[in-house]
Amino acid sequence: MIRIRDVVMRLPSGGRPLTILDGVTLDIPAGEVCAITGPSGSGKSTLLGLIAGLDRPSAGSISVAGVEVTELDEDALARFRRDTLGYVFQSYHLIPTLTAAENVAVPLEIVGAPDALARARALLADVGLGNRAHHYPVQLSGGEQQRVALARAVALDPGLLLADEPTGNLDSATGVQIIDLLLALNRRRGSTLVLVTHDDTLAGHADRIVRLHDGRILNGAS
Amino acid sequence: MSLAFALRMAWRETRGAVRHFAVLFGCVALGVAALVSVGTFAANLDRTLMREARTLTGGDVELRSAQPLDAAAFAAVDELARKGATVTTVREMVAMARAPGGATLLVELKAVEPAYPLYGRVDTAPPAQLDTLLAARTESSGALVEARLLERLGIAVGDSLEIGGARYTIAGVLVREPDRSPGLITLGPRMLVAADSLERTGLLQIGSRVRYRTLVRLPAPVTAHAAAAELAGGIGDPAVRIAAFDESQPGLRRFFSQLATYLGLVGLASLLVGGVGIASTVATFLRRQLATIAILKCLGAPSRVLLVTYLIQTLTLALLGSLTGAALGLAAQPLLVRALAPFAPFALEVRWDTGTLARGLALGLLAALLCALWPLLAVRAVPPSLILRRDVDTGAWRARRPWAAALPIVLGLAALAVWQAGSLRLGGIFAGAALAALAILFALSRAVVKLSRRAPRARGLAWRQGLAGLARPGGHTVRVVVALGLGVMLLVAIALLEANLGRQLAYEQKRDAPAFFFIDVQPDQREPFSRLVGDVGGGGVPAMTPIVRARLAAIDGTPITRELIDRRKRETPDKIWYFTREYMLTWSATPPPANAVTRGRWWTAEEAAARPRVSVEDEAARYFGVRVGGTLTFDVQGVPIEAEVMNLRKVDWQSLTTNFFMVLSPGALDGAPTIYLATARVPPERESKLQDSVVAAFPNVTAIPLRGVLERVSEVLGQISFAVRFMALFSIAAGLVVMGGALAATRYQRLYESVILKTLGATRWAIARAFAVEYACLGAAAGLGGTALAAILAWIVQRFVLDTPWTLEPETLILGVTLTTLVSLAVGLLATVRLLGRRPLSVLRQE
Repeated sequence: MIRIRDVVMRLPSGGRPLTILDGVTLDIPAGEVCAITGPSGSGKSTLLGLIAGLDRPSAGSISVAGVEVTELDEDALARFRRDTLGYVFQSYHLIPTLTAAENVAVPLEIVGAPDALARARALLADVGLGNRAHHYPVQLSGGEQQRVALARAVALDPGLLLADEPTGNLDSATGVQIIDLLLALNRRRGSTLVLVTHDDTLAGHADRIVRLHDGRILNGAS
Repeated sequence: MSLAFALRMAWRETRGAVRHFAVLFGCVALGVAALVSVGTFAANLDRTLMREARTLTGGDVELRSAQPLDAAAFAAVDELARKGATVTTVREMVAMARAPGGATLLVELKAVEPAYPLYGRVDTAPPAQLDTLLAARTESSGALVEARLLERLGIAVGDSLEIGGARYTIAGVLVREPDRSPGLITLGPRMLVAADSLERTGLLQIGSRVRYRTLVRLPAPVTAHAAAAELAGGIGDPAVRIAAFDESQPGLRRFFSQLATYLGLVGLASLLVGGVGIASTVATFLRRQLATIAILKCLGAPSRVLLVTYLIQTLTLALLGSLTGAALGLAAQPLLVRALAPFAPFALEVRWDTGTLARGLALGLLAALLCALWPLLAVRAVPPSLILRRDVDTGAWRARRPWAAALPIVLGLAALAVWQAGSLRLGGIFAGAALAALAILFALSRAVVKLSRRAPRARGLAWRQGLAGLARPGGHTVRVVVALGLGVMLLVAIALLEANLGRQLAYEQKRDAPAFFFIDVQPDQREPFSRLVGDVGGGGVPAMTPIVRARLAAIDGTPITRELIDRRKRETPDKIWYFTREYMLTWSATPPPANAVTRGRWWTAEEAAARPRVSVEDEAARYFGVRVGGTLTFDVQGVPIEAEVMNLRKVDWQSLTTNFFMVLSPGALDGAPTIYLATARVPPERESKLQDSVVAAFPNVTAIPLRGVLERVSEVLGQISFAVRFMALFSIAAGLVVMGGALAATRYQRLYESVILKTLGATRWAIARAFAVEYACLGAAAGLGGTALAAILAWIVQRFVLDTPWTLEPETLILGVTLTTLVSLAVGLLATVRLLGRRPLSVLRQE
């Protein structure tokens, strides 16, 4: 599903380049639940963002479902994300001026699905928020916002789910609920799930754990 | 897919930010309101002028001359009469009216025949037939006068007046005269009399200044242009001006056309100020929505779909704003009509003009699109990775846009200016001036921000916080200084021009100006006249200048024919009067005062004796194409006099002494019928007595009081100024809307700052003082920038357009800066005072 070869990522910081990722090579097969762990600043979120084409590596290549992500232009990357993956953020990143249902409907509307809002409401019901469809994010708790984000991420049945610290802003009890929901949604769809976390308990749910440290993979790559 | 998604997202994004877009809405509305109000007025005026053209002209065709028509001209007119045309003659002149008590007044006398008016009607009080009111009585003739004549002379209907040797009984008040060219500057109230009474006044002498108008009403199949062409063919004398009804009154049309153009530019300036507001509103909104844009891109929305989304949003709001502005502009019509009605010789209607409305809407939409495009282009550059940063510091992100994209935007705005101005030159000048003003104000605002950051650490919380507030992220300093500065520039420029022109016209300023110009003093009246003026006027001897009336007959031997005039009229219609006017010639052995010889030299006595020489005013010479060494031939009562051009002169027309286009050498006009023009300097308390005494002793002499003329010019300027200031207020309003928007955009930051300061122990008064410093500095910067630019603009207009001397007017400049500072302070404090009451914890918890 995912092939990462010798990826390097450098970012300017105070006039000098900072190496975030330093030659990462990794294969993730389709259907696997892979957790990427490591201390803060190890490059986990950056690696996830590169897989999603949200940024371009300084060197190396990334291929997802046979598509060379690193060679796509901006519009092609947008289409790639739309067609291939769903993303869950630590800070939920719901659009504040849209209701829960409208937030979930956005990916469906981007592809022109005719019954986007109806399908969105059904997805919200799946995640237990059927009666909150018309509420705005500011009216929802953190856990509820993350559920909406989950529903949005799976709206187009993507083959790949990327989750960046999905429970990072939640209390432990809510976090557990979210993880259970995420895993359930993933199992139901048979998609690949790549999960970034610094929580070892959460990482324990994965089929494989990849540890990053100072921009390098500590344990075996593929 | 894309369009449906874009429409849906545009609606969703707008409904969540309605208050934010109130600024964009307001800016577009004000700009369009200004343009629609002046455009509708101009369109209505034009339509009314066209509709009333025959009435204004007095007929289908008008022949105008300074002499009675000669035999050939009469024959040509008779030919038309034989075909069924109705012909009538009107004679107009200035004269002195004398009331029974001895009081005198300069009046504009008009003598009409029974067929008058050919179109329209004369409204009188009491209403009655014109020929009845003007009919001869036992020892007098009837006359109709304007009400202000009765007021000025302290008489009433039924009283009598003398004009020269004729007596008139005032039969009624002249309420409305259909063909009165308001002329804008009238020398005196109108007095209407019967044609056959004019001879009895004794004022029709050789050399008298009378305007002869022959008016023709044509039978149905004959068109005005055909008749005018036929007349022109039969009347070779180019001094007789022949015009069809839709060609005459060019001065009036030109005045209104120019006024509408300049008012329209002032209105466009409002849209420009509004454009600053539009651009900053869109920029602020997109900065707020950076996270949303990044999220949508993460979800797979292409950049162009997002660009279309925000374009739809902007254009929809601009359309609503334009529609509201159009309604506002129509509502403002009555005010404009009231301001400018005195200039129009007929009732101006208040109604909408579809063309103007469509143009106003289009200008509003296009201006909004062009002003919003630059910030909107940033949408393409928003990286989706922006949301990967834990703290989305959108303030630090800067869009990189290709500068080449700015060029079509600027050109588009310049094209809008040209479209509104109706002329490439004027639109180009406006666009260039606007761009320069924007650039200077922008640079000034950036300098203010930089200075506030680098200023040495001020003592006291108020100054430290206040100055720091100028550099607050969100860029409100730039938009407030630019928008408010533009509005101030316009308003102060108008005030400066008014002050300067007012100074020009203030009689009291003219220490050397004469109190009176006396015209038509006959040669045998010189001595007694001089004595009278000396006795009554307090000892001063009047300056007497000989005048001979003549027409220009040839230039360098080439006769001035009707064909030549028609050809030159097509090239320079504005200056054709150089050919067709009657000139007042004088002679002098030395150059006149207030005149500077620019080419050639003055004649010696021997040269003057050898042949006639002439000195020509340099602009006239340029128009004629005549140089030193060339010749001008004058027709003096039928006698040709050829004079060699000896020099060219620059005349200071502002000097209010007798100035002449042509001055001949002594002896050149010997034997020609001469009258005298006298100027007299008289103490103010003796002016009235002198005027009355002169008219009583010399009824043919006309006294023109300079003070009165200047006052009337001032009045006219005052009325025009009102209209211009009214338009400029739209700009100020737009500037205040932009300022309001800037305040709203920074509301949360100001609230946060005030809460932190409170927590640290600052009182509300201390915090208010800090904001006062900030807004006073903003206002001062806008005021300084705006007034400096206003001074430059006023100088340019006076130097290159009006050709009048410029003075600094420091009081106006200081007032401009002070008022702007105070207004900014007031608006800023009003907006901030409410925040001071909020409890700190509720705000801090949100963080």
